[in-house]
Amino acid sequence: MNKNQVAFFVDVKRCIGCFSCAMACKNQYHQPPGVVWRYVYSLKEEIYAHHERAFLSLACNHCEHPTCLEVCPVEAYTKREKDGIVVHHQDKCIGCGNCIRSCPYGAPRYNPELKKAEKCSFCWERQDAGLKPACILGCPTKALQIVRLADFKRPGSLQYIAGFPRMTALNPSVRFNPPRQPMEVRRAL
Amino acid sequence: MNGMELPLVFFTVLGQAAVGMTLIAAMRRHATDSGGPVFAGRNEWLTALIILGVGMAASLFHLGHPTGSPRTLVHLSTSWLSREVLMLGLFGVLLVIGFLTVPQTSGSSVLITLTALVGLAGLIASGLTYAPPSFPALNNGVPVLLFLLTALIMGPAVCSYFTSEDTQALLTGILGTALILGLVMNLILPSVWMSGGRVMQMTGAAHYGSALYWIRLGGEFGVGLAVIAATRRIPVWLPVVLLAGEILGRILFFSKVVHTATNIGGLY
Repeated sequence: MNKNQVAFFVDVKRCIGCFSCAMACKNQYHQPPGVVWRYVYSLKEEIYAHHERAFLSLACNHCEHPTCLEVCPVEAYTKREKDGIVVHHQDKCIGCGNCIRSCPYGAPRYNPELKKAEKCSFCWERQDAGLKPACILGCPTKALQIVRLADFKRPGSLQYIAGFPRMTALNPSVRFNPPRQPMEVRRAL
Repeated sequence: MNGMELPLVFFTVLGQAAVGMTLIAAMRRHATDSGGPVFAGRNEWLTALIILGVGMAASLFHLGHPTGSPRTLVHLSTSWLSREVLMLGLFGVLLVIGFLTVPQTSGSSVLITLTALVGLAGLIASGLTYAPPSFPALNNGVPVLLFLLTALIMGPAVCSYFTSEDTQALLTGILGTALILGLVMNLILPSVWMSGGRVMQMTGAAHYGSALYWIRLGGEFGVGLAVIAATRRIPVWLPVVLLAGEILGRILFFSKVVHTATNIGGLY
Protein backbone atom coordinates (compact mmCIF):
# COMPACT_ATOMS: atom_id res chain seq x y z
CA MET A 1 0.00 0.00 0.00
CA ASN A 2 1.23 3.48 -0.95
CA LYS A 3 1.89 5.23 2.37
CA ASN A 4 0.44 8.42 0.92
CA GLN A 5 -2.75 6.77 -0.35
CA VAL A 6 -5.73 9.04 0.18
CA ALA A 7 -9.23 7.64 0.64
CA PHE A 8 -12.85 8.64 1.06
CA PHE A 9 -14.24 8.19 4.55
CA VAL A 10 -18.00 7.73 4.40
CA ASP A 11 -19.69 8.25 7.75
CA VAL A 12 -22.94 6.40 7.13
CA LYS A 13 -24.19 7.46 10.59
CA ARG A 14 -24.09 11.07 9.47
CA CYS A 15 -25.23 10.70 5.86
CA ILE A 16 -28.83 11.85 5.35
CA GLY A 17 -29.02 10.91 1.65
CA CYS A 18 -29.40 14.50 0.46
CA PHE A 19 -27.32 13.98 -2.71
CA SER A 20 -25.44 17.26 -2.06
CA CYS A 21 -22.15 15.42 -2.70
CA ALA A 22 -23.38 14.15 -6.06
CA MET A 23 -24.73 17.59 -6.96
CA ALA A 24 -21.47 19.26 -5.96
CA CYS A 25 -19.61 16.88 -8.27
CA LYS A 26 -22.06 17.66 -11.06
CA ASN A 27 -21.66 21.40 -10.52
CA GLN A 28 -17.89 21.07 -10.57
CA TYR A 29 -17.58 19.00 -13.75
CA HIS A 30 -20.87 19.50 -15.63
CA GLN A 31 -21.15 15.94 -16.84
CA PRO A 32 -23.93 15.35 -19.39
CA PRO A 33 -27.30 14.03 -18.18
CA GLY A 34 -27.09 10.43 -17.00
CA VAL A 35 -23.34 10.53 -16.36
CA VAL A 36 -22.60 10.48 -12.63
CA TRP A 37 -19.23 10.17 -10.94
CA ARG A 38 -20.74 9.98 -7.46
CA TYR A 39 -24.00 8.39 -6.50
CA VAL A 40 -25.87 7.97 -3.22
CA TYR A 41 -27.15 4.40 -2.85
CA SER A 42 -29.92 3.62 -0.41
CA LEU A 43 -29.28 0.55 1.76
CA LYS A 44 -31.97 -2.01 1.00
CA GLU A 45 -34.38 -3.22 3.65
CA GLU A 46 -32.70 -6.64 3.69
CA ILE A 47 -29.65 -4.93 5.18
CA TYR A 48 -31.15 -2.06 7.11
CA ALA A 49 -34.68 -2.98 8.17
CA HIS A 50 -35.74 0.21 9.89
CA HIS A 51 -38.13 3.07 9.25
CA GLU A 52 -35.08 5.30 9.08
CA ARG A 53 -32.99 4.90 6.00
CA ALA A 54 -29.23 4.70 5.53
CA PHE A 55 -27.13 5.57 2.52
CA LEU A 56 -23.78 4.87 0.90
CA SER A 57 -22.27 7.80 -0.99
CA LEU A 58 -19.91 6.18 -3.48
CA ALA A 59 -17.61 7.20 -6.29
CA CYS A 60 -14.33 5.76 -7.58
CA ASN A 61 -12.48 4.08 -4.71
CA HIS A 62 -9.01 4.71 -6.16
CA CYS A 63 -8.09 1.09 -5.42
CA GLU A 64 -4.60 -0.08 -4.56
CA HIS A 65 -4.82 -2.48 -7.52
CA PRO A 66 -7.31 -0.79 -9.85
CA THR A 67 -9.03 -3.10 -12.34
CA CYS A 68 -9.66 -0.16 -14.68
CA LEU A 69 -5.94 0.52 -14.93
CA GLU A 70 -5.13 -3.16 -15.39
CA VAL A 71 -7.63 -3.85 -18.18
CA CYS A 72 -7.37 -0.61 -20.16
CA PRO A 73 -5.73 -1.54 -23.49
CA VAL A 74 -4.51 2.00 -24.26
CA GLU A 75 -3.03 2.94 -20.85
CA ALA A 76 -5.60 5.67 -20.31
CA TYR A 77 -5.35 5.18 -16.52
CA THR A 78 -2.46 5.99 -14.22
CA LYS A 79 -2.12 5.88 -10.45
CA ARG A 80 -0.34 8.85 -8.91
CA GLU A 81 2.60 8.07 -6.67
CA LYS A 82 2.10 11.17 -4.51
CA ASP A 83 -1.39 10.25 -3.25
CA GLY A 84 -2.54 7.04 -4.98
CA ILE A 85 -5.29 8.78 -6.95
CA VAL A 86 -6.30 6.84 -10.08
CA VAL A 87 -6.44 9.34 -12.94
CA HIS A 88 -8.27 8.74 -16.21
CA HIS A 89 -6.61 10.46 -19.20
CA GLN A 90 -9.41 11.21 -21.63
CA ASP A 91 -7.03 12.14 -24.43
CA LYS A 92 -5.88 8.51 -24.55
CA CYS A 93 -9.31 6.87 -24.12
CA ILE A 94 -10.81 5.25 -27.25
CA GLY A 95 -14.16 4.42 -25.63
CA CYS A 96 -13.85 0.62 -25.67
CA GLY A 97 -15.78 0.34 -22.41
CA ASN A 98 -13.52 -2.33 -20.95
CA CYS A 99 -13.01 -0.35 -17.72
CA ILE A 100 -16.76 0.25 -17.40
CA ARG A 101 -17.44 -3.45 -17.77
CA SER A 102 -14.62 -4.50 -15.45
CA CYS A 103 -14.85 -2.21 -12.40
CA PRO A 104 -16.93 -4.04 -9.76
CA TYR A 105 -17.98 -0.71 -8.24
CA GLY A 106 -19.32 0.73 -11.48
CA ALA A 107 -17.13 3.81 -11.10
CA PRO A 108 -16.18 4.50 -14.75
CA ARG A 109 -19.14 5.71 -16.79
CA TYR A 110 -19.64 6.17 -20.52
CA ASN A 111 -19.96 9.76 -21.70
CA PRO A 112 -22.14 9.53 -24.85
CA GLU A 113 -21.18 13.05 -25.95
CA LEU A 114 -17.43 12.44 -25.85
CA LYS A 115 -17.81 8.70 -26.65
CA LYS A 116 -15.26 8.01 -23.93
CA ALA A 117 -15.20 6.68 -20.40
CA GLU A 118 -14.77 8.98 -17.42
CA LYS A 119 -14.84 8.71 -13.65
CA CYS A 120 -14.26 10.48 -10.34
CA SER A 121 -10.88 12.18 -10.35
CA PHE A 122 -10.86 12.75 -6.57
CA CYS A 123 -10.62 16.39 -7.73
CA TRP A 124 -6.85 15.96 -8.05
CA GLU A 125 -6.56 19.38 -9.69
CA ARG A 126 -8.27 20.96 -6.66
CA GLN A 127 -6.15 18.90 -4.27
CA ASP A 128 -2.96 19.98 -6.05
CA ALA A 129 -4.12 23.56 -5.53
CA GLY A 130 -4.62 22.93 -1.82
CA LEU A 131 -8.42 22.64 -2.03
CA LYS A 132 -10.72 19.86 -0.90
CA PRO A 133 -12.71 17.74 -3.38
CA ALA A 134 -16.04 19.28 -4.37
CA CYS A 135 -18.14 16.43 -2.93
CA ILE A 136 -16.51 16.78 0.48
CA LEU A 137 -17.05 20.53 0.52
CA GLY A 138 -20.66 20.03 -0.56
CA CYS A 139 -21.60 17.63 2.23
CA PRO A 140 -23.67 19.54 4.82
CA THR A 141 -23.26 16.93 7.58
CA LYS A 142 -19.55 16.22 7.13
CA ALA A 143 -20.44 12.62 6.35
CA LEU A 144 -17.87 12.57 3.56
CA GLN A 145 -14.23 13.20 4.34
CA ILE A 146 -10.83 12.71 2.79
CA VAL A 147 -8.32 10.73 4.86
CA ARG A 148 -4.79 9.45 4.44
CA LEU A 149 -4.97 5.69 5.03
CA ALA A 150 -1.55 5.49 6.72
CA ASP A 151 -2.77 7.89 9.44
CA PHE A 152 -6.38 6.75 9.61
CA LYS A 153 -7.12 4.90 12.81
CA ARG A 154 -10.73 5.71 13.57
CA PRO A 155 -12.19 3.00 15.86
CA GLY A 156 -15.13 1.09 14.45
CA SER A 157 -14.47 2.05 10.85
CA LEU A 158 -14.62 -0.68 8.22
CA GLN A 159 -13.36 -1.17 4.69
CA TYR A 160 -16.28 -3.38 3.70
CA ILE A 161 -19.78 -2.96 5.05
CA ALA A 162 -23.02 -4.66 4.06
CA GLY A 163 -24.15 -3.39 0.68
CA PHE A 164 -20.63 -2.72 -0.57
CA PRO A 165 -18.92 -5.34 -2.80
CA ARG A 166 -16.01 -7.03 -1.06
CA MET A 167 -13.12 -7.05 -3.53
CA THR A 168 -10.00 -7.79 -1.53
CA ALA A 169 -7.75 -8.16 -4.58
CA LEU A 170 -8.49 -4.58 -5.56
CA ASN A 171 -8.18 -3.19 -2.00
CA PRO A 172 -10.49 -0.17 -2.47
CA SER A 173 -9.32 3.03 -0.78
CA VAL A 174 -12.50 3.76 1.15
CA ARG A 175 -13.53 3.44 4.77
CA PHE A 176 -16.99 3.46 6.31
CA ASN A 177 -18.48 4.27 9.65
CA PRO A 178 -21.41 1.79 9.73
CA PRO A 179 -25.00 3.01 10.06
CA ARG A 180 -26.53 3.59 13.47
CA GLN A 181 -28.95 0.95 14.66
CA PRO A 182 -32.07 2.80 15.82
CA MET A 183 -32.72 2.55 19.55
CA GLU A 184 -35.88 0.69 20.44
CA VAL A 185 -37.87 2.40 23.18
CA ARG A 186 -40.49 0.34 25.00
CA ARG A 187 -42.90 1.61 27.54
CA ALA A 188 -42.80 -0.34 30.77
CA LEU A 189 -46.03 -2.24 31.41
CA MET B 1 -29.01 -5.73 -17.16
CA ASN B 2 -26.30 -4.75 -19.60
CA GLY B 3 -26.66 -3.93 -23.28
CA MET B 4 -26.55 -6.63 -25.93
CA GLU B 5 -23.15 -5.37 -27.20
CA LEU B 6 -23.92 -6.60 -30.72
CA PRO B 7 -20.53 -5.58 -32.20
CA LEU B 8 -18.83 -7.70 -29.54
CA VAL B 9 -21.31 -10.53 -30.10
CA PHE B 10 -20.37 -10.73 -33.78
CA PHE B 11 -16.66 -10.14 -33.11
CA THR B 12 -16.37 -12.94 -30.59
CA VAL B 13 -18.61 -15.49 -32.34
CA LEU B 14 -17.07 -14.95 -35.78
CA GLY B 15 -13.52 -14.80 -34.41
CA GLN B 16 -14.09 -18.09 -32.59
CA ALA B 17 -15.64 -19.64 -35.71
CA ALA B 18 -12.43 -18.80 -37.60
CA VAL B 19 -10.31 -20.25 -34.78
CA GLY B 20 -12.50 -23.35 -34.79
CA MET B 21 -11.98 -23.79 -38.51
CA THR B 22 -8.20 -23.77 -38.11
CA LEU B 23 -8.39 -26.15 -35.15
CA ILE B 24 -10.38 -28.55 -37.30
CA ALA B 25 -8.01 -27.98 -40.23
CA ALA B 26 -5.03 -28.80 -37.99
CA MET B 27 -6.74 -31.96 -36.77
CA ARG B 28 -7.50 -33.01 -40.34
CA ARG B 29 -3.98 -32.14 -41.46
CA HIS B 30 -2.55 -34.47 -38.85
CA ALA B 31 -5.16 -37.08 -39.74
CA THR B 32 -3.96 -36.72 -43.35
CA ASP B 33 -0.34 -37.25 -42.28
CA SER B 34 -1.40 -40.50 -40.73
CA GLY B 35 -3.43 -41.61 -43.70
CA GLY B 36 -6.69 -39.88 -42.80
CA PRO B 37 -8.86 -37.52 -44.88
CA VAL B 38 -7.27 -34.92 -47.16
CA PHE B 39 -7.09 -31.27 -46.06
CA ALA B 40 -9.39 -29.13 -48.20
CA GLY B 41 -7.08 -26.29 -49.21
CA ARG B 42 -6.88 -22.54 -49.61
CA ASN B 43 -10.60 -21.85 -49.98
CA GLU B 44 -10.92 -22.80 -46.35
CA TRP B 45 -8.16 -20.39 -45.37
CA LEU B 46 -9.89 -17.64 -47.33
CA THR B 47 -13.23 -18.36 -45.66
CA ALA B 48 -11.65 -18.30 -42.19
CA LEU B 49 -9.93 -15.03 -43.10
CA ILE B 50 -13.18 -13.45 -44.31
CA ILE B 51 -15.08 -14.60 -41.22
CA LEU B 52 -12.35 -13.20 -38.94
CA GLY B 53 -12.22 -9.98 -40.97
CA VAL B 54 -15.98 -9.43 -40.69
CA GLY B 55 -15.75 -10.08 -36.94
CA MET B 56 -12.87 -7.67 -36.46
CA ALA B 57 -14.63 -5.04 -38.56
CA ALA B 58 -17.73 -5.48 -36.38
CA SER B 59 -15.63 -4.91 -33.26
CA LEU B 60 -14.75 -1.40 -34.47
CA PHE B 61 -18.42 -0.39 -34.12
CA HIS B 62 -18.07 -1.02 -30.42
CA LEU B 63 -15.42 1.67 -30.00
CA GLY B 64 -16.23 5.29 -29.34
CA HIS B 65 -13.16 6.23 -31.38
CA PRO B 66 -12.36 3.43 -33.85
CA THR B 67 -9.36 5.27 -35.29
CA GLY B 68 -7.59 4.72 -31.96
CA SER B 69 -7.85 0.93 -32.28
CA PRO B 70 -4.16 0.41 -33.24
CA ARG B 71 -3.24 1.81 -29.81
CA THR B 72 -4.94 -1.14 -28.11
CA LEU B 73 -1.61 -2.95 -28.42
CA VAL B 74 0.24 -0.69 -25.98
CA HIS B 75 -0.77 -2.33 -22.69
CA LEU B 76 0.31 -5.92 -23.20
CA SER B 77 1.81 -6.08 -19.71
CA THR B 78 -1.54 -6.44 -17.91
CA SER B 79 -4.47 -5.97 -20.31
CA TRP B 80 -6.00 -9.17 -21.68
CA LEU B 81 -7.77 -7.02 -24.26
CA SER B 82 -4.40 -5.89 -25.64
CA ARG B 83 -3.22 -9.51 -25.70
CA GLU B 84 -6.45 -10.56 -27.41
CA VAL B 85 -5.98 -7.95 -30.14
CA LEU B 86 -2.33 -8.98 -30.60
CA MET B 87 -3.03 -12.70 -30.82
CA LEU B 88 -6.05 -12.36 -33.12
CA GLY B 89 -4.05 -9.91 -35.27
CA LEU B 90 -1.26 -12.47 -35.58
CA PHE B 91 -3.88 -15.12 -36.28
CA GLY B 92 -5.18 -12.98 -39.15
CA VAL B 93 -1.66 -12.53 -40.55
CA LEU B 94 -1.11 -16.31 -40.45
CA LEU B 95 -4.42 -16.84 -42.25
CA VAL B 96 -3.27 -14.46 -44.99
CA ILE B 97 0.05 -16.32 -45.26
CA GLY B 98 -1.82 -19.61 -45.38
CA PHE B 99 -4.14 -18.40 -48.10
CA LEU B 100 -1.28 -17.05 -50.21
CA THR B 101 1.11 -19.97 -49.81
CA VAL B 102 -0.92 -23.12 -49.35
CA PRO B 103 -1.54 -25.07 -52.57
CA GLN B 104 -5.06 -25.97 -53.55
CA THR B 105 -5.22 -29.46 -52.10
CA SER B 106 -2.73 -29.71 -49.27
CA GLY B 107 -1.09 -27.56 -46.64
CA SER B 108 1.97 -27.17 -44.49
CA SER B 109 1.54 -29.06 -41.26
CA VAL B 110 3.67 -26.50 -39.39
CA LEU B 111 1.72 -23.50 -40.69
CA ILE B 112 -1.68 -25.01 -39.94
CA THR B 113 -0.61 -26.09 -36.47
CA LEU B 114 0.97 -22.70 -35.71
CA THR B 115 -2.13 -20.86 -36.95
CA ALA B 116 -4.42 -23.03 -34.85
CA LEU B 117 -2.26 -22.52 -31.74
CA VAL B 118 -2.09 -18.74 -32.18
CA GLY B 119 -5.85 -18.67 -32.75
CA LEU B 120 -6.33 -20.74 -29.61
CA ALA B 121 -4.13 -18.31 -27.66
CA GLY B 122 -6.29 -15.46 -28.99
CA LEU B 123 -9.42 -17.32 -27.90
CA ILE B 124 -8.03 -17.81 -24.39
CA ALA B 125 -7.02 -14.13 -24.17
CA SER B 126 -10.51 -13.23 -25.34
CA GLY B 127 -12.05 -15.40 -22.64
CA LEU B 128 -9.93 -13.79 -19.94
CA THR B 129 -10.84 -10.32 -21.24
CA TYR B 130 -14.46 -11.09 -20.41
CA ALA B 131 -13.74 -12.55 -16.97
CA PRO B 132 -13.41 -9.40 -14.83
CA PRO B 133 -14.15 -9.23 -11.09
CA SER B 134 -17.28 -7.19 -11.79
CA PHE B 135 -19.08 -10.30 -13.06
CA PRO B 136 -18.76 -12.97 -10.36
CA ALA B 137 -20.51 -15.51 -12.61
CA LEU B 138 -17.76 -15.08 -15.21
CA ASN B 139 -14.77 -14.22 -13.03
CA ASN B 140 -13.33 -17.69 -13.64
CA GLY B 141 -12.61 -20.06 -16.53
CA VAL B 142 -16.21 -20.11 -17.78
CA PRO B 143 -15.75 -17.54 -20.60
CA VAL B 144 -12.76 -19.48 -21.98
CA LEU B 145 -14.77 -22.72 -21.93
CA LEU B 146 -17.81 -21.09 -23.55
CA PHE B 147 -15.64 -19.54 -26.26
CA LEU B 148 -13.87 -22.85 -26.86
CA LEU B 149 -17.23 -24.57 -27.26
CA THR B 150 -18.25 -21.96 -29.83
CA ALA B 151 -15.04 -22.72 -31.75
CA LEU B 152 -15.65 -26.47 -31.54
CA ILE B 153 -19.25 -26.07 -32.73
CA MET B 154 -18.73 -23.52 -35.50
CA GLY B 155 -15.39 -24.98 -36.68
CA PRO B 156 -16.69 -28.34 -37.94
CA ALA B 157 -19.99 -26.74 -38.98
CA VAL B 158 -18.30 -24.30 -41.39
CA CYS B 159 -15.63 -26.81 -42.46
CA SER B 160 -18.41 -29.19 -43.52
CA TYR B 161 -18.90 -26.98 -46.59
CA PHE B 162 -15.38 -27.80 -47.77
CA THR B 163 -15.14 -31.51 -47.18
CA SER B 164 -16.11 -34.51 -49.23
CA GLU B 165 -18.70 -37.03 -48.10
CA ASP B 166 -16.10 -39.42 -46.70
CA THR B 167 -14.72 -36.80 -44.30
CA GLN B 168 -18.17 -35.81 -43.01
CA ALA B 169 -18.07 -38.57 -40.41
CA LEU B 170 -15.07 -37.01 -38.63
CA LEU B 171 -16.66 -33.55 -38.58
CA THR B 172 -20.05 -34.90 -37.56
CA GLY B 173 -18.43 -36.73 -34.65
CA ILE B 174 -16.61 -33.60 -33.45
CA LEU B 175 -19.71 -31.44 -33.85
CA GLY B 176 -21.94 -33.95 -32.07
CA THR B 177 -19.52 -34.16 -29.14
CA ALA B 178 -19.24 -30.36 -28.95
CA LEU B 179 -23.03 -29.99 -29.01
CA ILE B 180 -23.43 -32.50 -26.18
CA LEU B 181 -20.78 -30.65 -24.15
CA GLY B 182 -22.44 -27.31 -24.96
CA LEU B 183 -25.85 -28.57 -23.93
CA VAL B 184 -24.57 -29.99 -20.65
CA MET B 185 -22.58 -26.84 -19.84
CA ASN B 186 -25.45 -24.51 -20.65
CA LEU B 187 -27.85 -26.61 -18.58
CA ILE B 188 -25.50 -26.76 -15.60
CA LEU B 189 -24.18 -23.19 -15.53
CA PRO B 190 -27.38 -21.38 -14.44
CA SER B 191 -27.88 -24.03 -11.73
CA VAL B 192 -24.37 -23.44 -10.41
CA TRP B 193 -24.97 -19.70 -10.48
CA MET B 194 -28.23 -20.16 -8.56
CA SER B 195 -26.23 -21.68 -5.69
CA GLY B 196 -23.74 -18.80 -5.53
CA GLY B 197 -23.89 -15.34 -3.96
CA ARG B 198 -26.68 -12.86 -4.63
CA VAL B 199 -25.27 -11.44 -7.88
CA MET B 200 -24.64 -14.94 -9.25
CA GLN B 201 -28.19 -15.94 -8.26
CA MET B 202 -29.48 -12.92 -10.16
CA THR B 203 -27.47 -14.11 -13.18
CA GLY B 204 -28.92 -17.63 -12.95
CA ALA B 205 -32.46 -16.29 -12.55
CA ALA B 206 -31.98 -13.94 -15.52
CA HIS B 207 -31.03 -16.94 -17.67
CA TYR B 208 -33.91 -19.12 -16.52
CA GLY B 209 -36.29 -16.22 -17.06
CA SER B 210 -35.07 -15.44 -20.56
CA ALA B 211 -36.87 -16.83 -23.60
CA LEU B 212 -33.58 -16.56 -25.51
CA TYR B 213 -32.00 -19.12 -23.16
CA TRP B 214 -34.70 -21.74 -23.79
CA ILE B 215 -34.90 -20.98 -27.51
CA ARG B 216 -31.17 -21.51 -27.77
CA LEU B 217 -31.25 -24.79 -25.82
CA GLY B 218 -33.93 -26.18 -28.09
CA GLY B 219 -33.07 -24.45 -31.34
CA GLU B 220 -29.32 -24.96 -31.34
CA PHE B 221 -28.49 -27.95 -29.16
CA GLY B 222 -31.81 -29.79 -29.49
CA VAL B 223 -32.18 -29.41 -33.26
CA GLY B 224 -28.45 -29.89 -33.87
CA LEU B 225 -28.22 -33.13 -31.92
CA ALA B 226 -31.49 -34.48 -33.31
CA VAL B 227 -30.42 -33.83 -36.90
CA ILE B 228 -26.99 -35.37 -36.38
CA ALA B 229 -28.49 -38.39 -34.65
CA ALA B 230 -31.00 -38.88 -37.45
CA THR B 231 -28.77 -38.24 -40.48
CA ARG B 232 -25.23 -38.93 -39.22
CA ARG B 233 -24.04 -35.96 -41.26
CA ILE B 234 -24.09 -32.15 -41.26
CA PRO B 235 -26.83 -30.90 -43.61
CA VAL B 236 -26.03 -27.75 -45.56
CA TRP B 237 -28.52 -25.66 -43.55
CA LEU B 238 -27.40 -26.76 -40.09
CA PRO B 239 -24.37 -24.41 -39.76
CA VAL B 240 -26.73 -21.45 -40.25
CA VAL B 241 -28.95 -22.67 -37.40
CA LEU B 242 -25.90 -23.24 -35.20
CA LEU B 243 -24.56 -19.76 -35.98
CA ALA B 244 -27.91 -18.25 -34.99
CA GLY B 245 -27.79 -20.27 -31.76
CA GLU B 246 -24.27 -19.13 -30.96
CA ILE B 247 -25.26 -15.50 -31.58
CA LEU B 248 -28.23 -15.92 -29.21
CA GLY B 249 -25.93 -17.48 -26.63
CA ARG B 250 -23.47 -14.61 -26.90
CA ILE B 251 -26.28 -12.04 -26.56
CA LEU B 252 -27.21 -13.82 -23.33
CA PHE B 253 -23.56 -13.74 -22.26
CA PHE B 254 -23.36 -9.98 -22.66
CA SER B 255 -26.84 -8.99 -21.56
CA LYS B 256 -27.95 -11.39 -18.82
CA VAL B 257 -24.84 -11.76 -16.68
CA VAL B 258 -25.28 -9.39 -13.75
CA HIS B 259 -22.70 -6.77 -12.76
CA THR B 260 -21.81 -6.40 -9.07
CA ALA B 261 -22.62 -2.69 -9.10
CA THR B 262 -26.24 -3.58 -9.91
CA ASN B 263 -26.76 -4.66 -6.31
CA ILE B 264 -24.88 -1.98 -4.35
CA GLY B 265 -26.86 -1.31 -1.20
CA GLY B 266 -28.10 -4.92 -1.12
CA LEU B 267 -26.74 -8.24 0.07
CA TYR B 268 -23.85 -9.88 -1.76
